[in-house]
Amino acid sequence: MKNPIVDVIDATYKYKNHDGNDSENGVTDLTFSIDEGEFVVLLGHNGSGKSTLAKLLNGFLVPSKGKVFIDGNDTADEKLCYVIRSDVGMVFQNPDNQTVASIIEDDVAFGPENLGVPPEEIRQRVDRALKTVGMYEYKDRTPYKLSGGQKQRVAIAAVLAMQPKILILDESTAMLDPEGRKEVLDTVKSLNKENVVTVILITHYMDEALDADKAFVLSRGKIIKRGTPKEVFSDAEAVKEAKLELPVATAVSEELRKAGFDIKPTLTDEELAEEICRLK
Amino acid sequence: MRDVAFGQYYPSNSVLHKADPRTKLIAGIVYIVAVFLCDSYWSYLACFSFLLIACLVSKVPLKSILKSIKAVLFVVLITVIINVFCYKTGTVLWSWWILTVTDGGLIFASKMAMRLIFLVVSTSLITFTTTPVTLTDGLESLLTPLKWIKFPVHDVAIIMSIALRFIPSFTEEIDKIMMAQKARGACFDNGNIFKRAKALLPVLIPLFVSAFRRADELAMAMDARCYNATDKRTKMKRLKFAWRDLFLALATAVFLALIIMLKCGFFGLL
Ligand SMILES: Nc1ncnc2c1ncn2[C@@H]1O[C@H](COP(=O)(O)OP(=O)(O)O)[C@@H](O)[C@H]1O
Ligand SMILES: [Mg+2]
Repeated sequence: MKNPIVDVIDATYKYKNHDGNDSENGVTDLTFSIDEGEFVVLLGHNGSGKSTLAKLLNGFLVPSKGKVFIDGNDTADEKLCYVIRSDVGMVFQNPDNQTVASIIEDDVAFGPENLGVPPEEIRQRVDRALKTVGMYEYKDRTPYKLSGGQKQRVAIAAVLAMQPKILILDESTAMLDPEGRKEVLDTVKSLNKENVVTVILITHYMDEALDADKAFVLSRGKIIKRGTPKEVFSDAEAVKEAKLELPVATAVSEELRKAGFDIKPTLTDEELAEEICRLK
Repeated sequence: MRDVAFGQYYPSNSVLHKADPRTKLIAGIVYIVAVFLCDSYWSYLACFSFLLIACLVSKVPLKSILKSIKAVLFVVLITVIINVFCYKTGTVLWSWWILTVTDGGLIFASKMAMRLIFLVVSTSLITFTTTPVTLTDGLESLLTPLKWIKFPVHDVAIIMSIALRFIPSFTEEIDKIMMAQKARGACFDNGNIFKRAKALLPVLIPLFVSAFRRADELAMAMDARCYNATDKRTKMKRLKFAWRDLFLALATAVFLALIIMLKCGFFGLL
């Protein structure tokens, strides 16, 4: 059997208080693994520890207890720091604060340049990455004038140019309008399907979790629920504790069930329609 | 604020755009030196023609170039006013109280204004025709000798490119903050200069706060993309001199020679 690409074993990280002691904030005793090519969604309310977990995964933070392995490499090993960072690409929330260069292709080249990739290969990687996210025609332009969704696609390309194995999106859709969100999600999904990049999507929109292979729900630094999106959504208690908002179809089926109808939990509008038609 | 054209790249495929940034930087410095050597009208005419030809060759619309002058118009005006009233040689044309205007003053002031405008236009022509990244690459390459004395050339280059990259973000942000303050009754256009400066304070504070937040996030994004991973950082675009650079250098050299000849009066023909 193949090793999981992400292996988190009993990992704990606590931020320090002003007096130097551990605070409540952070993540506690996380254990999970992610296989290559999976699409995982990490759900949780503000301050639940999602970004902390993301930083543990690319080695920005090292667990005070437990271990994090990325493709077999221990994040605590300082010599592997840059190997891990190039394996784990991160896209952040604010599309304006991730670009270093004023020209799109120069910005995409920044990562591979830092890694010391030969110039001809950087050129190829940059072109390929921009084509993959559908922003190739924009390569000579400035990112400043793009829409939010386009800016995030450029940010994704910038990460892809480092040829990561894992792509983490830390609430990268949070600042976008619905159209931009869809753009970014579609890009990420097709990347996951075609390029075999493992995707970890961090969000507080539950409807983004519908197509995921796995979903984790984080609350107060702990994983309180894990499973397929369907399993997660049907656990009303966990959803409530994590202060998540159910997709409309799930909420409706849930209410109907409470009202005494014999109806299965549904995720999408189509499923809900089918279930309701079946009722009579 | 939107009108700040300085430091903005104008995409095109002119010879000037394709020229090596190092050539352009050196030509720019030579031009500025030449401008300060000018004294006769002929030499100003030479400076103007050289700049005009460069502008035409660059294919940058004149409108954009004029905008970059507009950004410094205030400074130019102040300089002109000060020079007109302080430079007192030649015949008096007009006099009132302690203010006198002489023809010498007028001439001197107009020369100063021309110098300033040439300076601004020539530097913004470089930024119009060179992407900030190429420009900083060029600077980095020119400053390479400083690496010998352990000067962090590359870090300085990155800082410059990021500064240029964030100019539009900050102007947009200032607009937004001012709008928000105006919506709450702030007034930026009334009162004397001190009142106006004071009214800007509530704009500056949120601007600084957001600048620090941006810096923090950007630093993280750069780290995530392996900044400093190796000392052997590579470049996608390597700088290469071409024939057009030689041509550009020659043209600039001829221009400088012409200015020097005009200055030293070797031009007995005129
Ligand atoms: N650098 C830090 N120092 C101290 N506390 C922090 C720091 N970063 C985050 N926290 C705290 O840790 C908790 C988890 O934060 P975070 O992982 O950013 O949550 P999320 O991304 O899910 O919103 C929050 O309560 C937050 O206030
Ligand atoms: Mg977060």
